[in-house]
Parts: sequence; structure tokens; C-alpha cells
Amino acid sequence: MSKTALVTGASRGIGLETTRRFILNNDDVTTVVMFARASEDFDANVAALEKELPIGRRLVPIAVDVGDREALKQAVTAAYEQVGGIDILVNNAGYTNPVPLQQVDMADFEKTINVNLYGPFTIVQTLLNLGNRFDLIVNIASTAGITGRSGWLTYSASKAAVINMSQVMREELSIYGTRVACLSPGRTATALRKTLAPDEDPSTIMQPGHVAQVINTMSSPVGRFIDSENIVVRQ
Amino acid sequence: MYSLILLNGGIGSRTGADSPKQLLKLRGIPILVYTLVTADRVEQISQIVLNYPPQWREDVEAVLKAYAISTPVTLVEAGASRHASVAAMISHCTNDDVIIHETARPLVRTSDFQRLIDSEHSNVSLMSEISFTVAPVDPETSAVTGSLDRSRLRNVQLPQKFAKADLQDAHAHALEQGIESTEDATLVADFGRPIHFIEGTDENLKVTTKTDLKMAGFLLRPEEDDDE
Repeated sequence: MSKTALVTGASRGIGLETTRRFILNNDDVTTVVMFARASEDFDANVAALEKELPIGRRLVPIAVDVGDREALKQAVTAAYEQVGGIDILVNNAGYTNPVPLQQVDMADFEKTINVNLYGPFTIVQTLLNLGNRFDLIVNIASTAGITGRSGWLTYSASKAAVINMSQVMREELSIYGTRVACLSPGRTATALRKTLAPDEDPSTIMQPGHVAQVINTMSSPVGRFIDSENIVVRQ
Repeated sequence: MYSLILLNGGIGSRTGADSPKQLLKLRGIPILVYTLVTADRVEQISQIVLNYPPQWREDVEAVLKAYAISTPVTLVEAGASRHASVAAMISHCTNDDVIIHETARPLVRTSDFQRLIDSEHSNVSLMSEISFTVAPVDPETSAVTGSLDRSRLRNVQLPQKFAKADLQDAHAHALEQGIESTEDATLVADFGRPIHFIEGTDENLKVTTKTDLKMAGFLLRPEEDDDE
């Protein structure tokens, strides 16, 4: 088996850890396309991972903002042409700016929806229109999408939409034999979590590697037995 | 390699919809997509000849583009009848062997096409046993005129495969004789060319009525719905 994965938000946190497990610990994945905004962190983490790469494995880092729809479409098309098809897609990139309802700025709400909802949708639709046939799509939602949280309106609403969108994708893409999983992590020590809960000690909560391990398991043969629901991963 | 004649031209008056039934949604997806995606996965099908109801070409083209069907598709406007459509579509087939299917049977599986292709015979139809009794009657007098041996009857299904020359000859003969057929296996048999059958499946139902649409939707639902 020689599968290609695309991971968004791959410069750090869950996306970086998922990339690491795919490329180092997954027997089937030989190429990982990494989508993330251009940053020194992205460059440094790709460089570090490149040093560990086994023979025959490759990383394809592409700098793109998942919230910029036109740029995203171009990046997806370029990636598709370069690697010849995406078998596994992990829609992980996320954005939040938690403020009370009365202070929500519409432009910021739109950015949240652009990154968290339209981004995953755009990647899937663009690839389908190009003729790509996925084995597996993993959409990363959140426990905040299951139960709305005070002060997190835009983020909670966007993740609720991701959970629902995943259900529709699961049904519609079954004609191709594509599996669609939705994963809702609880509190995870990521930069996004730091924005949501700045006073929390990250060492006391679930680590990105834990969630990445679950994603890696989802992509293994046994994963098909656990992908039919919104899967909650929490400590 | 095979050319797939995919019949898609019926207007679907029995489903009671405004648009042709092939563009009706089954679990939110146009019915014709199911067969297109399935046929796209069959390696031996190198061409799809698809017909469309007059005035619906753009809609069919939009579906083909959105679903990125990779097998080359030749579009042909539907004829006045199913028989006329098949006759017109044969000439667009670029392979010596053809398969006939209809988009109104969306539950066809790649294995159905594969079993047909793997059959040793040139002209083969999927057919299923008849689970009920069919009686010959005289419609004018309402008299039952005898009985039929059910074990020697089969429900004719699609897909079917043919040597293109046999199908072409049978249609040319039908044109000469003024014969209008409703399907092609018996047309070829009546013409005198050998034709065989393999077992069909009861899931490969034809969606003709609103009830059929509900049945097909039920069969396509995720299997986890069967959990208790």
C-alpha cells in the first residue's frame, strides 16, 4: 500500500502530530501533504521532521491560509497535480476568537466559518470535482460543537456545523466507498486551546499526540469499525 | 473492452415529478449518478454512451462535470422510444462489445457488471427467478387461457451484454419488420442469436414509481441503521 494523506493545520499541534504519526508510524502512508499558513514554526517543524524521514517517505509542505477560499482551491489543485490523488484527508485547521455574543465582530465570525467550515468543505469539493476518490476523510470538530459554550458562540456554532456536515458527507460519499469520520476532541493542549482557556495549565490536559494517535488508528484497517459516529476524544 | 449504453432518456411520468426521473434525487443524489459512479469503477468499461431527454442536456452535463466521471462519455439525445434510443446509441459505441444498463436501476453493483463481463458467453442478461405466478389471459374476454411453468420463466433485468454486431443485426431486422421491443435480450433471442442468462439480484430494482424510490432509498441507507 502506498497512500497519500493531506493534513491541514499541519504546522503545529494536532496537525503536526498527525503528520508525524502518518509518516513515521503508519505502514500505508508514504506521502503527507502539509497545509499550514506560512510561518517560521512551519518551516522549522517540517525541517525537523524531514531529518527523521524513512527512505521512500516524503513530505509536501504547502503554505496556504485555509480561510482564503481562492488560495485554498489553487493549493488543493496544485497538490492534487503534484501527488496524483489524496487517499486520506484530515481537516484539522481551526480558528477561534472567543468573545461574548454582544461583542462578536461579523468579520471575525466570517473568518471563523471560513477556516472551520468552508475550508474543509472547499478542500473536499475541489478534490471531488477534480475526480479524486478518497478512502477516508477525518473532520476535526470539537466537544464545543456538541454543547454550546458561553463566550464561544462563533467557535461552537462552526464546530456544530462541522459535525452535521460530516454526517451529510458520510452519506453522500458512500457511493464512492469513502469513509467519513468526525472527531471531537475535548480539552487539548494546543495553541487554539490557549486562546480559549489562557489560564489553564496545558500539562494537565490531553496532548495533541493523543488525538493524533486516535486519527492514525482511524486510518488503519480497524478504523472502519469505529468511524460511524461523531467520536469524542477527551481526558 | 466494453462500451456501456446507459439509457437515461425516459421522462419518468410515473414518478410524478416535474423533471426527468434520472435527475430526481435518491438520498439527495441524482439517480443517474449512482450508475455513472459504479460504471466508472469497472476497468473494462472504456466508454459510456449516455442519452438524455430532449432539453435536459445541460443538466446532465452539469452532473457529469460535478461528479468528475473519468470514463469518456458520449451524449446522445433520446429517441422517441426506448427501442429507438438503443438503435441510435449502438452506432456511437466504439468497442466491439457493449453493455446495456439504465439509470433507473441505481442499485447495480460493480460485481453485477463484473459477473456479466466474466461470463464465457457473448450475449448475456442478468435475470431473476419469478417469485409469483404469471397467467396468460385474453384481455378482451377477461378469460384465463391456461398456465405458464414458472420454472421456465425469468424476470429480465439489466445490465445485459452483447456482441455489438449481434445487437446491431437484431435492431436492423426489427426495423425492417416493424418490430418495437421493450428490451434487447429477447429481441436478440427472437432474431435467432444465442443469448444466456446469469442470476440477477432482487436489490437491482427498477425505480419507476414513488414507492420504488422509497424502496431504493431504504436499501441504500447505512447498514448501522439495522443495529438494535
